[in-house]
Amino acid sequence: MTIHETSAIHGMAESDRLRSRRLRNRIRHEAIQLGIVALVVVLLGILAYAVKAGLAEKGIRFSFSFLANTAGFDISEGWTLTSGEGVVPSLAQFSSDMSVASAFITGIFNTVKVALLAIVLSTILGTMLGVGRLSTNWVVRNLCFWIVEFVRNTPLLIQLVFWYFAVVLRFPPMASAAKLYGGLIVSQQGIYVPTLSWSGGVSILSLILVTATWVSVLGAVFDPVRGMRRICIATAVVCLGLLIATGGMTVDFPVANKFKASGGTSISPEMAALLLAVVVNSASFIAEIVRGAIDALPKAQWEAAGSLSLSRRDTVNDIVLPQVFRVVLPSFGNQYISLTKNTALGIAVGYPDLFNIYGTIANQTGHSLEGIIIVMASYLILSWIISSAVYWANRRLNPIGVSR
Amino acid sequence: MITISIKWTRHNLFGKPFDVALSLLVIPGVLWLAYSIFDWALTTARWDIIAASLRVLMIGVFPADQAWRAWTASAIIGAILGAGLGCVFSFKPHHGLVLVLVPLLLLIVDHGDLGNALPAAGVVAATVLGWVLTSYLPLSRKVIPAAAFTGFIVVVAVMAPPGVGLWGGLLLSVLLTLVTSVLSLPVGILLAFGRQSRLSSLRIICTWYIEVMRSVPLILVVYWIWILMPVLAPQWELADVARGMIGFTIFYSAYVAEYVRSGLQAVPRAQSEAARSLGMSEFDINRSIVLPQALRVVVAPLVGNVLDIFNSAPLVFIIGLTDFLRAGQMILANPQYGDRTFEVLSFLLITYFLVGSMITYAARKLEDHMATSTR
Repeated sequence: MTIHETSAIHGMAESDRLRSRRLRNRIRHEAIQLGIVALVVVLLGILAYAVKAGLAEKGIRFSFSFLANTAGFDISEGWTLTSGEGVVPSLAQFSSDMSVASAFITGIFNTVKVALLAIVLSTILGTMLGVGRLSTNWVVRNLCFWIVEFVRNTPLLIQLVFWYFAVVLRFPPMASAAKLYGGLIVSQQGIYVPTLSWSGGVSILSLILVTATWVSVLGAVFDPVRGMRRICIATAVVCLGLLIATGGMTVDFPVANKFKASGGTSISPEMAALLLAVVVNSASFIAEIVRGAIDALPKAQWEAAGSLSLSRRDTVNDIVLPQVFRVVLPSFGNQYISLTKNTALGIAVGYPDLFNIYGTIANQTGHSLEGIIIVMASYLILSWIISSAVYWANRRLNPIGVSR
Repeated sequence: MITISIKWTRHNLFGKPFDVALSLLVIPGVLWLAYSIFDWALTTARWDIIAASLRVLMIGVFPADQAWRAWTASAIIGAILGAGLGCVFSFKPHHGLVLVLVPLLLLIVDHGDLGNALPAAGVVAATVLGWVLTSYLPLSRKVIPAAAFTGFIVVVAVMAPPGVGLWGGLLLSVLLTLVTSVLSLPVGILLAFGRQSRLSSLRIICTWYIEVMRSVPLILVVYWIWILMPVLAPQWELADVARGMIGFTIFYSAYVAEYVRSGLQAVPRAQSEAARSLGMSEFDINRSIVLPQALRVVVAPLVGNVLDIFNSAPLVFIIGLTDFLRAGQMILANPQYGDRTFEVLSFLLITYFLVGSMITYAARKLEDHMATSTR
């Protein structure tokens, strides 16, 4: 009896046995799945019951209806959405007679404001520090190294407290405020920057100029031709200048008086400290990312560019930076997410970000569990937005199959 | 044809103008910082404040009748700190002695009160001893991690009296770091396996847990656990320290899970296939073939995670614990020292930097060790 015959004779039985064993495995698999789901449901049920009992002991009911109540507390800064006239919501300064929900919106607004500013500033500063760490100049290289090393090895919270108590609050009082570059006022009451404000109404000239500025800015950002981009930037600057010259837009310079400054936009001391701490902290992490990416670039790239007699600027712009940028983009995304989470530390200096306002609401209403669900969901959504934006940029820059 | 010849280096990316601009930005700042520090040290430094704050910073607030415990614990922590510093900055011992002699003298002279000055001098002496030992004995460099761990256990078990509210200072930060990094490892490993499981329900649950924990701030998790625990289990009456540790563990196990998962994916599939062909069970394969290799791969990120935990330990201020930062702020809260913000905060920053560099140094040593043992 050969092997061939064996399988022919017992073939039917074998496959039957195999089938039944597969069925058994499948049933077992499903049973385990079901068991896990049931376990989690039971655990969640126990959790919910315990929470409910615990809350009932304190006389609190689990419901989201407190969101519509009047807040009854003030927030030092920040805008919120109100249902102004009609259906279109409008921005307004938060006041204590608004609802708890709009207090949450103010918190989200403040968090997003700091996070966006910090993302832009820390990318610029971090890239400078990272490139500085590779400099041939001994002073620059070592200074950048020690700054990065020091910032990365100390807790962000202490840096924040340091910036607030030892730096920002030690700025000169308003009467003797530092006036930098003619328009920037630095004082204990905060930092004042000049702003552009719209004053042209709806005259045709100003509308045309605004449209032209906007189109040229879009062109400067998205036009693939570098020469065109320069022309676009120049056009944008000229249009903006014309707009200011014709009075369609005015530059609002802050003016320091004895006790307070007027005009311009003010950055509160809390926000300035939080911004400084978060920017410097994440810039040093970004510096490491950038340095790693530049270091990882093969030296042959430089040599090849040199043998083609490309100028230094062309090499950096067309050969080095595009490759570096592709490599660092995903790491930048992670850094942006952790930066956004780090803004929650604003509570240490009293900056009214989402977490700080949640704390106030939880104290005032007692609905800390409902509040935490909202706060967690907000942070989760913020993280998802950032990571999907980075993913989108990554897909655009690294189309599948082109690089690597 | 080629008329320009440039010496190409991959350094100096944007050329000289960039260097100059950065120097103009950075050099004045550093000079100003150095000037103010020297100026402070020479003219206005209150060395007696620094001596008095040593104890508070290291182990927090103790009642007056237990001052001896506090000073002994401070001495042990100082010895460990000094040993670590000697490891990292391997000076010759006389450097250390010279460095420490000045504050020691100032301490005893300035302080006046010999009853307090003696234990403070003891702390300084212990620090010097640690430094000297590590500078002389090459053996001690390998013993340092174990010695540090044992030292802290001794401090915690014997010196620090049991009770809530007495934990504080550097001790709390280090204790929190140790407990969290030890506890989050098994939880993280379980989560990592759960995320790779063939069971879709388990996979989905673990993935969601990790995703949520990785995208909310730690401060939120700690605060949440702190308010949730009494609601969930009012009969337990957990101390604030324990609740803080639970929050940290819950948060950091998600990070550990991601590191471990990357390590698990780095282990060649052939390893588990070979083990399967030997007839090992799935559990045995994962436990004794895959996991050890995976952990060896991710030693570096895991130790980086320990540094991360240490650096976020001050966040426990949100639940009212007296950690290193809070101790510094308590010193500042004393109206006598109210205008010493810059000094005290700089001192805190520098101490954190030194301890953080010690952890980094130990991590590098551990990495080297693991790397050579695999070859």
